[in-house]
Amino acid sequence: MRTILAGLPGLAAATATAPAMGTGEVWLFWILAPIAVLAALGMLVAKKAVHSALLLALVMFCLAVFYIAEQAPFLGIVQIVVYTGAVMMLFLFVLMLVGVDSSDSLVETLRGQRLAGLLAGAGFAALLMGGIGSAALGTRAGLGPQSASRNVVDIATLLFTRYTWAFEITSALLITAALGTMVLAHRERTAPRPTQRELSEQRFRSGGQLTPLPAPGVFARHNGVHVPGLLPDGTPSELSINKVLAARGDIRSGQELDTPGIAASTEEEK
Amino acid sequence: MSPLTSSVLTATIQAPKIEYSQVAPMLIVLGAAVLGVLVEAFAARRLRYGLQLGIALVGLLAALVSVALLAGAHHIVAMGAVAVDGPTLFMQGSILVFAVLGVLTMAERSLDPGGTAFAAQAASVPGSTAERDAVGAGIMQTEVFPLTMFAVSGMLLFPASTDLLTMFVALEVLSLPLYLLAGMARRRRLLSQEAALKYFLLGAFSSTFFLYGVALLYGYSGSISLTGIADAVSGATGGDALLLIGTALVSVGLLFKLGAAPFHSWTPDVYQGAPTPLTGFMAAATKVAAFGALLRVLYVALGGVRWDWRPMMWAVAILTMVVGAVVAITQTDVKRMLAYSSIAHAGFLLTGVIATSRAGLSSVMFYLLAYGFSTIGAFAVVTLVRNSGGEATHLSQWAGLGRRSPLVAGIFTLFLLAFAGIPLTSGFTSKFAVFSAAMAGGAAPLVVIGVLVSAVAAFFYVRVIVLMFFSEPVGDGTSVVLPSALTTIAITVGAAMTVVLGVLPGWFLHLADQAAVFVR
Amino acid sequence: MRRVNVYAPILVLGLLSTGFAVVSVVAGSLTGPKRYNRARLDAYECGIEPTPQPVGGGRFPVKYYLTAMLFIIFDIEIIFLYPWAVAFDSLGLFGLVEMVLFIVTVFVAYAYVWRRGGLDWD
Repeated sequence: MRTILAGLPGLAAATATAPAMGTGEVWLFWILAPIAVLAALGMLVAKKAVHSALLLALVMFCLAVFYIAEQAPFLGIVQIVVYTGAVMMLFLFVLMLVGVDSSDSLVETLRGQRLAGLLAGAGFAALLMGGIGSAALGTRAGLGPQSASRNVVDIATLLFTRYTWAFEITSALLITAALGTMVLAHRERTAPRPTQRELSEQRFRSGGQLTPLPAPGVFARHNGVHVPGLLPDGTPSELSINKVLAARGDIRSGQELDTPGIAASTEEEK
Repeated sequence: MSPLTSSVLTATIQAPKIEYSQVAPMLIVLGAAVLGVLVEAFAARRLRYGLQLGIALVGLLAALVSVALLAGAHHIVAMGAVAVDGPTLFMQGSILVFAVLGVLTMAERSLDPGGTAFAAQAASVPGSTAERDAVGAGIMQTEVFPLTMFAVSGMLLFPASTDLLTMFVALEVLSLPLYLLAGMARRRRLLSQEAALKYFLLGAFSSTFFLYGVALLYGYSGSISLTGIADAVSGATGGDALLLIGTALVSVGLLFKLGAAPFHSWTPDVYQGAPTPLTGFMAAATKVAAFGALLRVLYVALGGVRWDWRPMMWAVAILTMVVGAVVAITQTDVKRMLAYSSIAHAGFLLTGVIATSRAGLSSVMFYLLAYGFSTIGAFAVVTLVRNSGGEATHLSQWAGLGRRSPLVAGIFTLFLLAFAGIPLTSGFTSKFAVFSAAMAGGAAPLVVIGVLVSAVAAFFYVRVIVLMFFSEPVGDGTSVVLPSALTTIAITVGAAMTVVLGVLPGWFLHLADQAAVFVR
Repeated sequence: MRRVNVYAPILVLGLLSTGFAVVSVVAGSLTGPKRYNRARLDAYECGIEPTPQPVGGGRFPVKYYLTAMLFIIFDIEIIFLYPWAVAFDSLGLFGLVEMVLFIVTVFVAYAYVWRRGGLDWD
């Protein structure tokens, strides 16, 4: 538990860096690691893209907890705010933009491209693993233990002194992002927006239903939207029911519902 | 949490020191860009074009003046993030001049009946009624100007960054607006949008290579500043896996930006799809910025391991020259042909980088200046040759152009001769400078290959000249449209500088030589 | 382990909120009337009339993307604000100036989006 708490910025100085894993950390690891692995596997095998995305969010969340436990609170917070928050949301937005159920075309436009890509990727991975693995890790200047005790404050110090210039330039990046989104996704009106008066006049000119539509069977014998309202002469009103519900075959007439036995048989006729 | 935190701290943090006069070029361009966004926000639609053009030009010229005033500076400023030295100032000056010419061509409104070369409304679906409405309303997307200014500010910082973090931020600041602008062509919009998407995906991919390399170099040296890496390199005994892989990955990121093979595959598609004035600006200015950053990383940080990266650069340079020149022969589209020509030129420039000497640095800077003027001019000429569907970029449509419009065809011939490296043009001087630097730097075989490839490249340039002057015109309505003063100035400056740098290059060569010392 | 006590309220709050969520869902399903029909089992669309599900599962209009991107811009701003706020005491005046400069610059983008109707929903 000590190490976990040490990850939180305020308490960092009080607890010295403990090289060995504390009991709390062991527990944390053995609880979260299986969850993270299972979620990662689930992400790969999930049939629906949205489920994949949500499982990915779970993986990222578990990682964030690990980061914080490993005394990298800044990384943990970034992981949650930027990745599980923003990037995940963007993922889902893109899924919805493309259509949740749409799937990739499996036709190769360049013949043998997939195999070549696979081989090149495997080769690159082998090269990296071999190269980095062969380097005796730990003796390099950048790989030694860093002063983790003041993680966030150290980052602030660097960010606002040594890297001020880069930090302020980043705002240019954010403005570009906003400009780009507007340019690509926002259509400005070329004609003034029609006023309510104009809309109303247009509705009367085109004719059709001018009054509000009759309500479904709310105050008749049944109170659901799936039962048409009755007109004064007792006939069901087509206007009172939603066309989409009718198309799905969800609409029942009042009589059917009175006698449950008939409902099943008349269903075929509809 | 606050009382606990403050008890942790022992000393308050020292305020950073920013030398505003030394980073003035970047500040001015950034300020102009932000001002441009405010104009977009608050100015009436009909005022925007004039205001934006004015702000962009005034900002760029003011930045150019401030670069000139800084001449002779040789120090690291902004808390060690920015180097203000000869190469920085020479390249910033080149970028700003190209940006002025680029903005002039981008603002051209008299070639296309609809307006500029940029879409009236980039958000409207190509071929939709919304697009027709937008074109009919005569509106234009003036965001182009602030976006260009942001790209320029990134380009100014890219070759000046002295640490890899600042360099990465600069890389993104220069790339992001270009990705956007590439997708905003007025004509052939689907091609343009495809180009933007490809550019974005591949660009983001190469950025991650760069970042990965930065991480490995940090792992090796414990520093992301170029001098810090150089110190770690000079203290080391031999090649180290982390250092070598890091060097390779950072180089991949940079080589992508300058369009060197095998990282060139985006170049033809993007050059063809992007609005032509933007292509010209991008080809000239991005190359300067990317070569500036590559030179600084390889010379300042990794000069100590040049024997390790030179073989890799040899391979890349040879491949780039050969791919650029050979594939260009098969092209039937003027813009694609110029794209492959730009790849070949990246290869020639790399031979100068490989020289790893003061002459190599100065010759590359001179080459970039000369190539930039010619390429902006050449793409500006491409915007003039049009038919009812927009620019007529198919080579067959250029047949007989010399008989109908001898002046335009003549100027284009001048640019082509410069690309081919014919004497009395800037192309000859710059190629000569680069090859002699490479020769002195012990890369003689590379020079032999370079000369051979130049001969191959000359073939397809001459083929276009023959096509323009000695073929029968095809009667498909292709004609040369008279531009306004904006494009005329850009073409005139480009052509004049191509001649001046070919005939009287002395002053510029001297300037490049004077500037060719990196601050460490 | 004494320090755990500091976090006891958070734990209790977490338990309370989880308990409330679980109890409301369970209580609703136990006490509510059960008259199911297909229309009732449809996704509740907040009083909006159900619209036909298009082929491909329905796609969001691209204007949502603007909202997503604006959110991300402010999200990234928060990431910079976090270390700034933690180290605020020791950063002094220059830290404030730097952050104000940054935020003002980002708000230029916000002003642009607002003035050009990016926040209108029509």
